[in-house]
Amino acid sequence: MEQLLEIINPHFLLRNAFYAGLIVGIVCPQVGIFFVLRRMILLGIALPQVSNAGIAFAFLLHTIGWHFFPHMESEKTMALTGSVIFALIAIFTLAILERKQKGFTENRIGFTYVLAGAASILFVSWNPYGQTEVLSMIRGEIISIPDFYLWSMLAIYGTIFICLVGFHRNFVLVSYDTDMAITLGKRVILWDILLYLIIGIVISFGVMTVGPLVIFGFLLIPPIAARMVVRGILPFCIVSSVIGTAASFIGFYISYRFDLPTGPTDIAILSIILVFLYLGKILIRLKR
Amino acid sequence: MNTDNCITLENVAIGYSGKVLIKDINFSLKVGEFVVLFGPNGSGKTTLFKTILRIIPPIQGAIRYGDGHLTRFGYVPQRQYLDEIYPFTVEEVVLMGTFGQAKPFCPTPKTNRVWIEQCLKDVGMLDLRKKLFSELSGGQKQRILIARALATRPNVLLLDEPITGIDIIAQKKIIELISELHKKRQLTIMMVTHEVHHIPSWVNKIIHIHHYKVVLGSLEEIISLSRIDEIPS
Repeated sequence: MEQLLEIINPHFLLRNAFYAGLIVGIVCPQVGIFFVLRRMILLGIALPQVSNAGIAFAFLLHTIGWHFFPHMESEKTMALTGSVIFALIAIFTLAILERKQKGFTENRIGFTYVLAGAASILFVSWNPYGQTEVLSMIRGEIISIPDFYLWSMLAIYGTIFICLVGFHRNFVLVSYDTDMAITLGKRVILWDILLYLIIGIVISFGVMTVGPLVIFGFLLIPPIAARMVVRGILPFCIVSSVIGTAASFIGFYISYRFDLPTGPTDIAILSIILVFLYLGKILIRLKR
Repeated sequence: MNTDNCITLENVAIGYSGKVLIKDINFSLKVGEFVVLFGPNGSGKTTLFKTILRIIPPIQGAIRYGDGHLTRFGYVPQRQYLDEIYPFTVEEVVLMGTFGQAKPFCPTPKTNRVWIEQCLKDVGMLDLRKKLFSELSGGQKQRILIARALATRPNVLLLDEPITGIDIIAQKKIIELISELHKKRQLTIMMVTHEVHHIPSWVNKIIHIHHYKVVLGSLEEIISLSRIDEIPS
């Protein structure tokens, strides 16, 4: 209880990491629902890996003297820029190939994942300095998050969340029935581009904050768990974010209380919630 | 019945990625007509249907809509193309029909909720509005998709294979429903089918795609053409 009160205290030393985790817990499942509904789950594994490669590449450039940003936070800003650029290039390339129906989707995504994974390792190993720092960022060790970064994250994730809520009907319609959307006068390509842009930005920021594994977990496990127990698209969206937020809160508390790494603890909590909901669903079915 | 044309195709060629599938298509749909687009699987019916709906652009020629009147389509897709992973309730599926006028950041207006209830009532599915769409039978799903198309307040209703893959009793009921809507709402209707026995005898016009050519004819003519195809060469 003492630790719990400590965590929610506004002067808590690791408050930024705690708040960042909560933001990820609320917003990522809202993006993740489109991964699940559009059956793009594999993309949810590949894109964080690509984003990772972007971070490692930006660090490599930074180390060999390519400084675009002279201020104090230049490393983090460059890493974020690399992450966003790599993620956006990958998602738009994959989307174009998908639209042109070149080859099989699974092959393309699998190849992207392997290539990005290998590139990340190579970029890190070519980096003569700062390997530890790069690896810590790639692993998503979210302990030290500066105020500026937290506020930027809040602004970007907040804007994205508002967009997802405000344009929810359009995103759902173009995802579910493209032909119907066209007959209703919707510009499907524009809505798809906006959605991919949102996905790219959320993943890039998320990977910087909690790492690729954890971001994948927050994108996918809450919607998968929510889908088992809800009826209707609106409850699906709400319950997904509730699960994400609850897992982030409980995960942070447990990791702080027992001195465990936060990201993997969050994923463990998400998995426990998923299993409980599944068992609950089976029990309800048996009772009927 | 009004004799104005609501859709006119003039020397239209259709296909995908610049490859022509059918060319020299010339016909028109008059306001209030019930037209059947008939042809075997893979003949290009759905391509023609989607070209009329502006989903695929024509490769050549022109399609005129309305002749001065506003043409609003109600589209009923083949239900098997809609993914059941979406946890939509029946009400939410029908509500999609109102998304054309929906403003972002605004909740669904009460008038729209009343309207979709009316659409559900018209197809006899109001009682199922809280059920999951994925839990319904084929015939029920088809009715819901018709309700969704009605929710767009259309003057032209286009149905893609609405009675394929459902049992005979449900087929009969769907045809009765479409016929009732045609009369009650004065809708222009175009229905796609690949089976001759799905064509109601009282339709105004049959557009037959036969060996990549569009032929207009009566039910008897279409049946005789289909029988000729069945004779082994």
